[in-house]
Amino acid sequence: MTHLSEEELIEQYYSKGADGLGEHLKDCAECAEAYAGLQSDLDEIEFAPLPEREGDYGEKIWQSIASSLPTYEARRRSWLGAGLWRTLSYAAACAVLVIGVFNAGRLWEHKQQGSTTASIPPKTQAPVAAPPPQRIVVVVLSDHLDRSERFLVELKHADADSEEMVSPLRDEARSLQAANRICREDAKKNDDPALTKALDRLDGVLAELANQPGGLNAAALARLQDEMKSDSLLFEVRVLRSRIPDRQRTASNRSEGDAI
Amino acid sequence: MGKNDHEAIRAVLAGEKDAYGALVVRHSQSLFRVAFRITGNESDAEDVVQEAFLRGYRKLDSFESRSNFGTWIYRIAVRCALDRIGGRRLDDFSRVADETDPEQEQVQVADEAAGPDRLLLSGEIGAMQEAALRSLTPTERTAFMLRHMEDCTGEEIGEVLGIPPNAAKQAVFRAVKKLRSRLAPLRVMR
Repeated sequence: MTHLSEEELIEQYYSKGADGLGEHLKDCAECAEAYAGLQSDLDEIEFAPLPEREGDYGEKIWQSIASSLPTYEARRRSWLGAGLWRTLSYAAACAVLVIGVFNAGRLWEHKQQGSTTASIPPKTQAPVAAPPPQRIVVVVLSDHLDRSERFLVELKHADADSEEMVSPLRDEARSLQAANRICREDAKKNDDPALTKALDRLDGVLAELANQPGGLNAAALARLQDEMKSDSLLFEVRVLRSRIPDRQRTASNRSEGDAI
Repeated sequence: MGKNDHEAIRAVLAGEKDAYGALVVRHSQSLFRVAFRITGNESDAEDVVQEAFLRGYRKLDSFESRSNFGTWIYRIAVRCALDRIGGRRLDDFSRVADETDPEQEQVQVADEAAGPDRLLLSGEIGAMQEAALRSLTPTERTAFMLRHMEDCTGEEIGEVLGIPPNAAKQAVFRAVKKLRSRLAPLRVMR
């Protein structure tokens, strides 16, 4: 039989049997004797008698310390007040900033709308919707000049003896013709002689390529390549293409009140 | 009681300093009891009670509302009492140690006490017990006192002393073993 350790006996004493070791103590005389000795020893131990305190002892303690205690409210103000006010200040500053930015944005937007409306005479307000189409045409013109530039580069370096290259050139020329006409008409309307002249010459090249009787042959292609070199059409297209941003800005400024 | 304590604490934190008086009146007796058990001195115990309430007041804004104020201020009082006896531990306890033990700050000295017969006859058994109790380390003495007199559990003792419950139980076991060893001569007189 395993006997209980002294620690288990001590635990048994203070738990008053709650540890469930009572059964063992009943069955084991040796442990029971050890427990009885422990019980006797601990029962004998007494601390020094506790001095009596008067009924108003608590009051006396309070009176002795009350004067040395700061008022908690004041301390809380000093501890928390600074942090609280600082936080509130930041929050208020942020709120003012947000409101200010919001109002400034609204005023700016209102002013922008007002100035735009004021610059347009009442009678011409209806056609004001025209500027967007102009911008679209400008974009189309830039695209058209890009495509034309690429087309002319291909044409310049095309191998006249290769049917595989000639056929796509003809198809591309036909495709460019329609766009070229639109751009040329707009150029005329906008009174842009340089662009009109260049687009005219481009139209001639495109027409010749697209409508060559009997198909585009090597001799015709060689002749077109020579003409391109002599009149510098490719260079002119590149120059016009580089002017597009300036033209766009000019057209945008001019669009105030003008309709294409 | 707990609810009243919490109401008083809220009032104190709101600026009603006098509300702390109710807490002092309510818990002074229990604090004096534990302070006296640890210090063994009436004057020291009163100082400990005052100091505990002063510390408690300063830390009141860190008191968690879920806790029990009685346990909280009790723990502070135990700490104050242990701090107080810490300075004179060697003076008071080294004379009654069984053997030299540097870890326990104890030294072996000649036993000048009278024999059991004389002790019994002169009614000094209580003094011997007191001497045996003082031979314990402050932690052992406090743990034993809380277990033996206050009927605290290992968990409660650990909470008050700021040590794990198992360490608190071990402190009680060591205390009991030491006391029994010191008080063994009394057994022959029973």
